[in-house]
Amino acid sequence: MRYTYLWLMQLVTGVLIAVLLGIHMVIQHLEDILRFLGFNLNDPASWQSMMERSREVIWAGIYIALLAVVLYHALNGLRNVILELTPSARTERAITWTIVAFGVIVFAWASYVPIALLSR
Amino acid sequence: MHKEKAEPITFRVQRYNPENGGKPHFQEFIVPSSKGMTVLDGLIYIKENLDSTIAFRTSCRMAICGSCGMLINNYPHLACHTQIEEFHSNRLTIKPLPNFPIIKDLVVDLAPFFEIHKSIKPYILRDDLEEMENPSTEYAQSHRALESFLQFTYCIKCGICVSACPTSASDKQFHGPQALAQCYRYCADGRDDGEPDRFPVVGTDHGVWHCHLAGACSESCPKGVDPALAIQLLKRRMVSRTLRLGKKEPPASTLPPPVESKPKLPFPEFTVKEG
Amino acid sequence: MRQIRPRQNYLGAGGWVWAGNYKLERYLYILHRVTGLGILFFLLAHLIVTTFFRIQGQEVWEKAMTILNNPLFKTGEYLVAVAFVYHALNGLRLILQELGFLMAKPIPPIYPYSDALRKKRLWTMAIIGIIAILCLVFFYDFIVGGW
Repeated sequence: MRYTYLWLMQLVTGVLIAVLLGIHMVIQHLEDILRFLGFNLNDPASWQSMMERSREVIWAGIYIALLAVVLYHALNGLRNVILELTPSARTERAITWTIVAFGVIVFAWASYVPIALLSR
Repeated sequence: MHKEKAEPITFRVQRYNPENGGKPHFQEFIVPSSKGMTVLDGLIYIKENLDSTIAFRTSCRMAICGSCGMLINNYPHLACHTQIEEFHSNRLTIKPLPNFPIIKDLVVDLAPFFEIHKSIKPYILRDDLEEMENPSTEYAQSHRALESFLQFTYCIKCGICVSACPTSASDKQFHGPQALAQCYRYCADGRDDGEPDRFPVVGTDHGVWHCHLAGACSESCPKGVDPALAIQLLKRRMVSRTLRLGKKEPPASTLPPPVESKPKLPFPEFTVKEG
Repeated sequence: MRQIRPRQNYLGAGGWVWAGNYKLERYLYILHRVTGLGILFFLLAHLIVTTFFRIQGQEVWEKAMTILNNPLFKTGEYLVAVAFVYHALNGLRLILQELGFLMAKPIPPIYPYSDALRKKRLWTMAIIGIIAILCLVFFYDFIVGGW
């Protein structure tokens, strides 16, 4: 039962990533095409543009949401790939807990940054 | 009658004899082949004329028993079902099926394969134990209900799908496409009630959720059973049970006894009289 | 009779990568796994750059950007974008097919046998077509624009 939910979450986070990361990719990389369509962003990777975005709550929200779904999807996928090499049951539990701990730590740190930058 | 020219084909067979120790190695044989000759015919020719110590399994020679699965030119086939001509080459490499332990030469150990098949309870399970053990009459099943799982009943348990599966190659606890497809075959059978027994067995990390739809099992199945489709339909069924979507159909009921029966015909008299 | 232990014969992780004579869907599976792992490794580097370097202020950020502006890294970023496009669209196909939506119905097998994936191969090819188009769209921006 539990494994069914883990797999379903993989699907759901996959769809959410396709949307959120799609927005991220389009904003970061498809600048010329967006300019052609009428949206003018000034060099998204520059300090100026990035600080403007980091002051808006909605962008911080999008980035934190993207981080959460990406971390779940990627780490669950990594866990599945490693488990296919069939380690022993004890190693399996160790790997699961390592991955969960890693995910929690990375999420905590990397979501602190956009929140801290909101006020700067 | 014109004699067909026998073209010599090189059979490069993987040999392995555990009694002599040593590692698997290849041995080459020249086999005269003619049109219509199968790889199994070639192996039997080798055994009868060239080297009688070669070991391989064969039984029906008509692709129904599932004994002669082997890797021919790096793709799993049934040897009796594969013509030498279809490779368009005069050099064949024959190896035992991968992902199974090798006993000798081309013979692999299928005992773990059958153990896993048994673990998913490949028989009709009913809640009514009395009816299951001592059946009084047959269960009613419409033709349409039969066709929803009939394709998966044609499995001959040859093990070729397990050899083709990339997950079975590395995951030793994976049930394999054959067991998962048979699990679906029984869960989808209208006469069966056994989903609560089977789902905990296959619904684990190393069970159905490690299938990633590479499709190699269906592609290589010699009987067209399409285990990949069965596994995806099994996933669909597990998800809808877990999320409690959709209605669970009641299992097929036993037929009511006939109200009016036709008169029985009398048994004909014997023509040979005693005495 | 002496008991003989059968010799192990697993393909191991090699079975993931080598696809031999198998058809399209197995190669798509290999690529899906490779792109997934590739994006994961990029993600870790990306998180380091956008957290540690961003929070230290403008000079550190701009110095990092000048280092990362060289064509090798830009090509790497393009490959990551391509990997994302492939993984996302193939993933959508996998979601639909694994839940049984883009798969053919079970029918009794009639020789020559065809399987449900092969019957719906047109959809798979359509999704690969969309992937190719999006890769070209990103490529345009990679070459023409500053990326």
